[in-house]
Amino acid sequence: MSGENERYEQLREIIAEVLEIETDELTDTGDFAEEYQADSLRAIEILARIDKEFKVEIPQSELPELRNLKATYEAVARHAGWQD
Amino acid sequence: MTALTINGLAALSAAGDRPEALAERATALAGERHPGVSVGGIVTEDLPRPEGHALLDFDVRARLGRRGTSFYDRATALAVVACGDALTDSGLTVDDTNRARVGVVLGTTVGSLKSTSDYTRETLVQEKPYLVNPMLFPNTVMNCAAGQAAIRHKLKGINATVTGGPLAFFNALRYAGNAIRRGYVDTMLVGAVEEFSAHRAWASASGPAGGEVPAGEGAAVFVIGGGADSAGRATICAVTTGYGPDGTAEQALTDCVARALHVAGAAPTDVTLLATSETSTAGTRPQRAAALRALDGHVPAEFVLSRVAGDCGAATPALALAAALRLPADGDRSGLILLTAHGTDGGVGAALVRR
Amino acid sequence: MRRVVVTGLGPVSSIGTGVTAFGAALRAGRSGISQITSFDPSGFPYRNGGEVRDFDPAAWLHRLPTDRWGRSSQFAAAAARLAAEDAKLDLDAVDRTRAHAVIGTTSGESVVLEALTARLVEAGFDAVPPQLVEQLPAGRLAHAVSEELGLRGDSLTLATACSASNYAIGYAYDLLVSGESDVVFAGGADSVCRWAHAGFYRLGALTEHACAPFDRDRSGIITGEGGAVLALETWEHAEARGAHVYAEVLGYGLNCDANHPVAPDRDSIAECIRIAHRNAGVTPEQVDYICAHGTGTPANDLVEAQAVLEVFGANPPPISSIKSMIGHTMGAASGFGAIASALAIEQGFLPPTINWSHPDPQLTGIDPVPNEARPATVRLVQNNGFAFGGNNAIVLLGAAR
Repeated sequence: MSGENERYEQLREIIAEVLEIETDELTDTGDFAEEYQADSLRAIEILARIDKEFKVEIPQSELPELRNLKATYEAVARHAGWQD
Repeated sequence: MTALTINGLAALSAAGDRPEALAERATALAGERHPGVSVGGIVTEDLPRPEGHALLDFDVRARLGRRGTSFYDRATALAVVACGDALTDSGLTVDDTNRARVGVVLGTTVGSLKSTSDYTRETLVQEKPYLVNPMLFPNTVMNCAAGQAAIRHKLKGINATVTGGPLAFFNALRYAGNAIRRGYVDTMLVGAVEEFSAHRAWASASGPAGGEVPAGEGAAVFVIGGGADSAGRATICAVTTGYGPDGTAEQALTDCVARALHVAGAAPTDVTLLATSETSTAGTRPQRAAALRALDGHVPAEFVLSRVAGDCGAATPALALAAALRLPADGDRSGLILLTAHGTDGGVGAALVRR
Repeated sequence: MRRVVVTGLGPVSSIGTGVTAFGAALRAGRSGISQITSFDPSGFPYRNGGEVRDFDPAAWLHRLPTDRWGRSSQFAAAAARLAAEDAKLDLDAVDRTRAHAVIGTTSGESVVLEALTARLVEAGFDAVPPQLVEQLPAGRLAHAVSEELGLRGDSLTLATACSASNYAIGYAYDLLVSGESDVVFAGGADSVCRWAHAGFYRLGALTEHACAPFDRDRSGIITGEGGAVLALETWEHAEARGAHVYAEVLGYGLNCDANHPVAPDRDSIAECIRIAHRNAGVTPEQVDYICAHGTGTPANDLVEAQAVLEVFGANPPPISSIKSMIGHTMGAASGFGAIASALAIEQGFLPPTINWSHPDPQLTGIDPVPNEARPATVRLVQNNGFAFGGNNAIVLLGAAR
């Protein structure tokens, strides 16, 4: 597995845990709020875990963009400066 | 004063997840002390002693599912399950027509000591002090268990959390009685909860009576309603609390018991069971002496919950009442149960419940 | 039915201790916010708090041995002593078994808990001094009041978080109305602590410099602390001893969102307002002033304002937040609100919302009494308190008739 894949799957696990669903239930583009009933507290929890796990601080002002797994990964990669 | 009826109850303790299990263990022990079991499997930290009285197999996910429960702490999980079991036992269906008239009041000592201490710990050991988990923040607030019980069971009536350690259940009974008599609600879920954790085990062990009693845990909840339709049901005849300043707690407790008898219109000889609340903050002996003084020489049968299920802190008198109401019917079950507690400092309480 | 009156006020706050200092600060719109000193805030991006600087418990407490009691208990006891003195209540002339203490809190003895945790992080559980464990139980906040004043009645600490003082005042009202007591000391206390500061920061609910409720650019709370206790008596008891009456407690309403652990719920708050009005026997038109929960977070102030507009219509009475001055004092917050409400009635002014500079287009119709206190005839006040766990509590105070 490439570094990118590994990190992507790690993020999937983190988010699934916060949303209280199984990892295979969390699709790449499934909307956190619409499909998994995430509220703002859970969204902030996701940010907090990203901060802890990846040492990447995403400002809360970007929360509205983090609608699904794919968008969240892209935001993390952008703030972390991941190239792969 | 209108008596309140107990329309349903639940009790989770080291003896099992039903009040009958606790009553059966009490009967089998016949006054001897249960040594507890090895509890190392449910905590990761060091413990002051290997034994405790915990619900080793308790699994909130098995009871309530994953959704909404994965951020519960143990106290919240125990309380939410006990509230659900008590509602089921009462047969009360909560729907849109009555949910605003059903409330919750739960007793505690400090909420989940582990949740709060762990949260503070994170601010000390993380690279940055604010790297704490947002989802766990509500668990540091003492009303977490009652609030989550309301969310899970959709109860929109008065929702309160009272403190006092072993006194908290008496405070909760008084609070619930007031809410019903004042007409704010029709039904209250009244209970108390305490979780087992290394934090509590150490706190319990450092108390004056901590050497004798291992820490325990549990939750007991009663569905309480106004006086109507009370046939065949247990009734709460009197609940009194008070404070003895300047080290006069023992006298204050005697006064509380005397006042409870007066309110209930009962004679000392009507009391058939005395349940003192032995916890690490207060031994059982002064309570027993103080209660017996008010009973004018009458000595009822006695029940000490901590001998059966350990130091259950705030849950102690609630579990004792649940067990007493489910004791097998040998001899005279008709009389009054007298519950007593001494919290910290001068805080005392007494209650009389007719079986 | 018995009536219930407020005869003594005991604020221990960041803008003043005692009713004279506190009242003057409210009128002046003073800020009690400064950089936190009770813990080391250097690792936090935001470092301001509403601390009670130079709190000297020994100056106020007559009987409580301060070395055995935590900071929140000391706040509660000092506030109760001040309320008793302000009420000119001779406790030796009171039936002490009918005198109760009901205190609300969010975090209880949080400073003790943090000292205990610091010790166990450093050296393990067995290094924690038993004296810290002994000071931990939250029930001691009310016990401190009972001990300090020598009260023999109920001694109850309600832990319903940030509306807990209103719960306490409400329960005290019932104890008096139902004839169970003559005097109740009711209010709340809490202390500034690391974990709440961290938690609110992490929720994105903390602001950096100044709390600006109802402002377009409001961005959160400032954590605060203190003790706020009111001496409540039955009308008969107060009249028999010729007591000065600040205000009458007309009733209160409680309900529970049963929906979300932290997010406020507009419909549920509106319903709580209606319940409070019904229990107090008042109508919206009679309310002259609303002492807001007004935390200064975007969500709270919007939801609170919407609920008020829903019940009161397009032109609600002025609604200001004293949290702009003292920060969010948690379990003491609605106690300070009740004290401010009683002073508003007695002295004829509306406490301001300070730090206010921009109207919020989403809050059309809301008059936050910006920046300066306003003279007004105040006959009826609604004191709002909301909390985690969806614990809503609203108290109605009226002019003494």
